Amino acid sequence: MLTYDVLIIGSGGAGLYAALESRREGNVSVAVVSKVYATRSHTGAAQGGVNGALATLDATDTWQDHCFDTVKGADYLADQDSVEIMCREAPMVVRQMEHWGCPFSRSDDGRIAQRPFGGASKHRACYAADKVGHLILHTLFEQGMRFGVNYLNEWMVLSLLHDGSRCLGITAMDIRTGRIHVIRAKAVILATGGHGRVYWTCTSNALGNTGDGPALAYRAGLPLKDMEFVQYHPTGLRRTGILVTEGARGEGGHMLNVRGERFMDRYAPKKMELAPRDLVSRAIVTEVREGRGGPDGEVFLDLTHLGKERISERLPQIRQLCIEFEGIDPVEEPVPIKPTAHYSMGGIHTNDVGRTPIQGIYAAGECGCISVHGANRLGGNSLLDILVFGRRAGRDACEYARRTEFEPVAQGAVEAETAVIQDLMEADGGEDMAQIRREMGAVMGEKVGVYRNESDLRQAVDAVRALRERFKRVRVRDRSQRFNTELTTALELRNMLELAEVIAACALERRETRGSHFREDFPQRDDKAWLRHVLAFSGTDGRPRLEYLPVTITRYEPAARTY
Amino acid sequence: MPEPIKTLRQKITANVRVHRFNPDSDRAPHFDVFKVEIESGMTVLDVLQTIKEEQDSTLVFRASCRSSICGSCAVRINGKAVLACSTQVIPTLVDTWKSSITIMPLRNLPNIRDLVVDIDAALEKLYRLHPYVVENPEHIPVTLESENLMSREELKTFDRSTDCILCTSCFSSCSAVAADSRYAGPMALAKAFRFTADPRDAFKKPRLQAAQDHGLWSCAQCRKCITTCPKNTRPAVAIQRLRRLSIDAGIHDTPGSRRANAYMDDVARFGQVNKPFLPVRVDGPKGWAAVEREEHYMQKFGMTHSLEVPTLPGQPDVERIYRHVREKEVELAPTRPSLARCHRPAEAASQPAPVKPGDSAAAATKEKE
Repeated sequence: MLTYDVLIIGSGGAGLYAALESRREGNVSVAVVSKVYATRSHTGAAQGGVNGALATLDATDTWQDHCFDTVKGADYLADQDSVEIMCREAPMVVRQMEHWGCPFSRSDDGRIAQRPFGGASKHRACYAADKVGHLILHTLFEQGMRFGVNYLNEWMVLSLLHDGSRCLGITAMDIRTGRIHVIRAKAVILATGGHGRVYWTCTSNALGNTGDGPALAYRAGLPLKDMEFVQYHPTGLRRTGILVTEGARGEGGHMLNVRGERFMDRYAPKKMELAPRDLVSRAIVTEVREGRGGPDGEVFLDLTHLGKERISERLPQIRQLCIEFEGIDPVEEPVPIKPTAHYSMGGIHTNDVGRTPIQGIYAAGECGCISVHGANRLGGNSLLDILVFGRRAGRDACEYARRTEFEPVAQGAVEAETAVIQDLMEADGGEDMAQIRREMGAVMGEKVGVYRNESDLRQAVDAVRALRERFKRVRVRDRSQRFNTELTTALELRNMLELAEVIAACALERRETRGSHFREDFPQRDDKAWLRHVLAFSGTDGRPRLEYLPVTITRYEPAARTY
Repeated sequence: MPEPIKTLRQKITANVRVHRFNPDSDRAPHFDVFKVEIESGMTVLDVLQTIKEEQDSTLVFRASCRSSICGSCAVRINGKAVLACSTQVIPTLVDTWKSSITIMPLRNLPNIRDLVVDIDAALEKLYRLHPYVVENPEHIPVTLESENLMSREELKTFDRSTDCILCTSCFSSCSAVAADSRYAGPMALAKAFRFTADPRDAFKKPRLQAAQDHGLWSCAQCRKCITTCPKNTRPAVAIQRLRRLSIDAGIHDTPGSRRANAYMDDVARFGQVNKPFLPVRVDGPKGWAAVEREEHYMQKFGMTHSLEVPTLPGQPDVERIYRHVREKEVELAPTRPSLARCHRPAEAASQPAPVKPGDSAAAATKEKE
């Protein structure tokens, strides 16, 4: 039986940093289990920056300023003691990346360059051209090669093994051979990333961001937290949801409905296209609902009036993006865009060293929820989150592993998972996987999207439950054991459907508007009743069972969130 | 006056030929042909997903980010290694005047199934070239209170190579990898350059030796890797630069570096390369066998074989050219940020600034003189 002291599930920024810390500790056996090779992880898609109060650009910046901006940006739902930790440790982790070779862009005097970012009172987003996520991911991967991190590449975790109070290990499938293994481990760190793919039809997330970690935790009896909070980015390309950055609007791009009108005039006449993201997203959805959207429910980003020269000089990457992924040249015609599900604030409930209620099971990164992002995440804080808390989870897990013995794993784990797969291959085939997935994406996008209300949310909960029932009739037709991606996508869909129900149920429960959660029927923020986290457990009847957790307030009393 | 937006969304039907192979059940690879309705904006990855969802769920391929940053979906389309997620179908059909596209897995790597290859062999070669920064204590502060200072010019020397997403398209296209399975390949060598050129790194000599041992001079400069790289990182150029760094670091006793030095010296002396004598310069005494073969061959046609070449007119200018190039290298060499100065105005960058000995190739060139 494969045995490791610490197993890390997921090979993005959080997982790799946890692995590195464990490796550097020395006397702990560690492996990273990932369904993709490390540098394929979605951390690589992050472009803008990683926040840290290094005070390069603005010498007056402090971690306290960063802390306040984060808490305010979170609409006061973030646990402030954890935010303090993140902001305090930020300069250290950013510099650690730099020492390890991350090629940040530089200021005139050779220091790490910083730039302004949404919601930040001071310029503190440390950047590297438009590829800081890619560079951080590769830096961690490279240092992993240096320190000898072990990988189990293209293995998909099927279940967490525990005895109710302690971690025992995992079961996982080697995708290449289809063989199912039990891996004994003292500690398991879930670092599987976000679950934007629940909004299948319009998300910026990679195909594999299906919330495997939260689904595994949920099935293991662990609570998920703040699941109703999903951040939307207003401008994603129609076909793919790939983000067109705010810079396009900053350079003078206009947003038009299908009639050719600059509709932001009616929603934010002063700021127009540069109004806050959630406002712009809601404006777009309203236009589409009232029939002024294009044939695919889109609106248009018009850069044609800027001219070829200005676009080539200031926005060359955006131009290339539109041509490559949408087949449209922004010099020639308006680009179709839609609001895109972008980031998952919610996730597995943890404390600030990544511990869950089961000893030895940890979570870090986007799949975890401490919470530092509360109801809305600031740009540049996600890369910071994964570095700070990936590292902390790695250290704590190692320390735990050192003072713990291995426990025997109960028999039958492999057989149980084999049975699950066999069911998938022998179902009656009356339902189509792709169809169910599309319907899930559609109902989540329409009814648990930018605008929410009770009636829609109830319908969404029922619709997802119906989809889960229908999923039982999906048959995996590919019988091969070798690299069976039809099987892996079926398992991912199972995870997504589970999370979709939780998200809809939590959104139904939270009867207020806060951050990215906008209730048309409860449009005000209600600190008296709702300044608390919603926890979701897997109930005995198969439905989410909800509990509440207070928010930790230390420095900043909740105030109105105006910009 | 706002004008209604007309969305021109085309639809055409195309034949998509896809390489299929499952070693568990197929005796040999074969092609399946699928008829697919292509819409405006569809990429090859969209096509593969459509086929898998609607026509054949056993079709297997890799994909993740769909935005050309993860490198998962590299395949050969009509013979060329590209990323499926950023290759538009309709322009591809238009460019090739066909109504079909052919999709095959990458070359030079074992085929696991259908379009999926085993990239471990390429990663293994990467590992051997120490693709990571080992902190140089002269440059990197001991504590995490501050970062290493680096100028924009220093970053520019290796910045392009950091765009690499390890998609292995270059590895697939490389003629030398196809010919010699021990050759490290463009991806690994370009990464070796990226770290050797990084001023923060203290592992340059061992890494250069490792590159030497794994085929630094085997690259034939066919530049297929440059044509194919989806991130425009120009691996073959990085390999050229890595070769220069290895010579500057004193690794002279290899056939490749001897050849490079012979070219430099000969052009300085004769205005041209002394090709007849080159085998001996490069391979030492073993080179005489090649020289004798030449002599023998020439004698058959009644010609005498000379081991000397005439000095071309214009030879005196060569020294001048070399000197000019060396001066330019010193002038354009990236400068390290001075710890004493805090702000350097942009204008100062145009004046040649003093170079600190140690890292830059220009310094080594100076020593050579």
